[in-house]
Amino acid sequence: MQRYSGFGLVKHALSHHENWERQWRNPTPKKSYDVIIVGGGGHGLATAYYLAKEFGVTNVAVIEKGWLGGGNTARNTTIVRSNYLWDESAALYEHAMKLWEGLSQDINYNVMFSQRGVLNVGHTLQDMRDIQRRVNANRLNGIDGEVLDAKGVQALVPIMDCSKNARYPVMGASWQPRAGVARHDAVAWGYARAADALGVDLLQNTEVTGFKIRDGQIYGVHTNRGDIEAKTVGCVTAGNSGVMAKMAGIKLPLESHPLQALVSEPIKPILDTVVMSNHVHGYISQSDKGDLVIGAGIDGYNGYGQRGSYPTVEHTLQAIVEMFPIFSRVRMNRQWGGIVDTCPDACPILSKTKVKGLYFNCGWGTGGFKATPGSGHVFAASLAKGEMHPIAAPFSIDRFNTGALIDEHGAAGVAH
Amino acid sequence: MFYIFCPYCGEHREEEEFHPKGQAHISRPEDPEATSDEEWGDYLFFRDNPRGVHHELWVHAVGCRKFFNITRHTVSYEILEVYKMGEQPSITAENYAAQQGAASADKERNASQAKHQEGVRA
Amino acid sequence: MSNAQQFDTRLVGEHAGEIAVESPLAYSMHRSGAPKAKADTTVTLRERAFLGHLTLRGGAIVLDEALRDVLGMSLPGEPLGLVQDEAGERSIQWMSPDEWLLIVPGGEEFDVERRLREALGDAHFAISNVSGGQTLLELEGEAAREVLMKSVAYDVHPRHFPVGKGVTTVFAKASVILRRPSEERWELVVRRSFADYTYRWLLDAGEEFGVGVER
Repeated sequence: MQRYSGFGLVKHALSHHENWERQWRNPTPKKSYDVIIVGGGGHGLATAYYLAKEFGVTNVAVIEKGWLGGGNTARNTTIVRSNYLWDESAALYEHAMKLWEGLSQDINYNVMFSQRGVLNVGHTLQDMRDIQRRVNANRLNGIDGEVLDAKGVQALVPIMDCSKNARYPVMGASWQPRAGVARHDAVAWGYARAADALGVDLLQNTEVTGFKIRDGQIYGVHTNRGDIEAKTVGCVTAGNSGVMAKMAGIKLPLESHPLQALVSEPIKPILDTVVMSNHVHGYISQSDKGDLVIGAGIDGYNGYGQRGSYPTVEHTLQAIVEMFPIFSRVRMNRQWGGIVDTCPDACPILSKTKVKGLYFNCGWGTGGFKATPGSGHVFAASLAKGEMHPIAAPFSIDRFNTGALIDEHGAAGVAH
Repeated sequence: MFYIFCPYCGEHREEEEFHPKGQAHISRPEDPEATSDEEWGDYLFFRDNPRGVHHELWVHAVGCRKFFNITRHTVSYEILEVYKMGEQPSITAENYAAQQGAASADKERNASQAKHQEGVRA
Repeated sequence: MSNAQQFDTRLVGEHAGEIAVESPLAYSMHRSGAPKAKADTTVTLRERAFLGHLTLRGGAIVLDEALRDVLGMSLPGEPLGLVQDEAGERSIQWMSPDEWLLIVPGGEEFDVERRLREALGDAHFAISNVSGGQTLLELEGEAAREVLMKSVAYDVHPRHFPVGKGVTTVFAKASVILRRPSEERWELVVRRSFADYTYRWLLDAGEEFGVGVER
């Protein structure tokens, strides 16, 4: 792998940047691998990278039907935080947060992780009680967090309408200073490049059309480029997980919903933190390029169309303009939708299945991006050892039949 | 954006007046005390999530406030049929696929006929 | 006769007149004002407060029979129908396959409810007096339809919304029962808690048409 550095940049400038190496190869599929990862988004690529780097499993293929990081990785609003309520999810997201903090150095790729802090605004007394409970729980788990009052919020975000007459009065917020945003594409590309350098085969435009299962044990997959064998297969396909599970004869408690986001025209720096409001289903931050990045709520119906409904996006923009009157004349540039795989308890599934050797990593719903490194790391550990990593173990698919749910609807941001 | 036909009001209304309520035709186990954890979990949490034809429960929330069912394609979002509570869908994943196949065969046949007719006219 | 209790909420005897009855818009008109009609006014807004609103639920056949007996009126024959008596004082609107809204002159609702209960006997039905929970606003004038077009997503073109139709729909994010009793008049039945919001929305939407409020 060609290492990136300031010196390298200067060196390549001399040759007009024409001799940069390709970031990853475009290999021909081998007949068999030790591990196959289905799905080349952030989580899948991170899984492949940690398999190779931490667990010495380098004979790995990542199979992606489109292009790398082209699904929800390319469509999210890039918020990274770890202030979840329950111990199980706090451990998972905080594990990810610690990896985020060293990620750019680890994979020698600038993922533009910016710890600009995240505010979860409370508009009602009940919001504030929930926020206090959550911040207390966070602190007990060693996660940074503060409860701010309206004055504190106003000091951090002077442009927000915190007046008494606001349509959505601001009573306070939870504030996680270590939280922030990262460049979503760079995360996929960085992991892809690092995994490729360790020998992982990234197979793009390769669609899994079925699983090869004999006597309850997986031994490969059918693809549009021929059969590929492996005794361990990890399925990391987000919105399409339900479809993949059906191919393997497995039920998942998932529903795929459209989730929308939009960006404005670039404007001068005005918002240097992330503001989320669960109550009105809107969140906003400003990218380094200057666009306002706005996330909406999910549409209530199932959909694989990668587009959402107009009333949903209208509702979000009305709320954003009520909270930030200063943005009322900003024009929106682009709007799009992703397919989020929502779980009944708003927590992911990291689990073995009744098919031996077939694992699923899915159900991240509206908030999977923030967990990318942690999810990849614990899932890789589980695939390598054949036993679920202790952090991943509580997220078993069995919890929907045993009743050991991890109810994170409150902290999951956009209710789902 | 949906324009949904309410079978009780008897006309199309804007999506804003409706709420989706998940998969249709979910029935509560007859005897909850006698169900296993497996069955009860399946009833509560496990839903069909097809990429294609799906049967859903909707409610005309701002309107007549009645529940009814929609058969909808989850990729094209096309509403294939609307039917009242207690009724069964006439379009299912199986017959929809067959119908689409027949329709495209029809189109081909018509296209070849059109070509033929053109030839005659010329 | 059903054994459901009927509550007469009127103050009687020595307590009569102790508590002033206020319309849902009393405070709104006081705070937001009630602009008078001008020469160029093309839409008029008025509240018809204190009418008797009864929600009738049950089977269409038994309710229809009882209404013929008590009021000499029958239920609308079709969904989204609105019928009125000859004087235009009493109306019945289809709300849902098993629900109708009966509006009668204020004070009459207690007597009508009692007589309906008697007529319905042991039938499966429910009658709720919702007079205090909602109020009726009227829009009249050539610009009335224009004001509605700014407020509801529902198509109010006469071809789609003839006289004698009534719908429940979204009105500026709130919900409203919208009905058309005559060519030039539209009625909005709004919830008491949304009355102020609806009133102020209508003042704003009607400003360009010189909206006048009749009190």
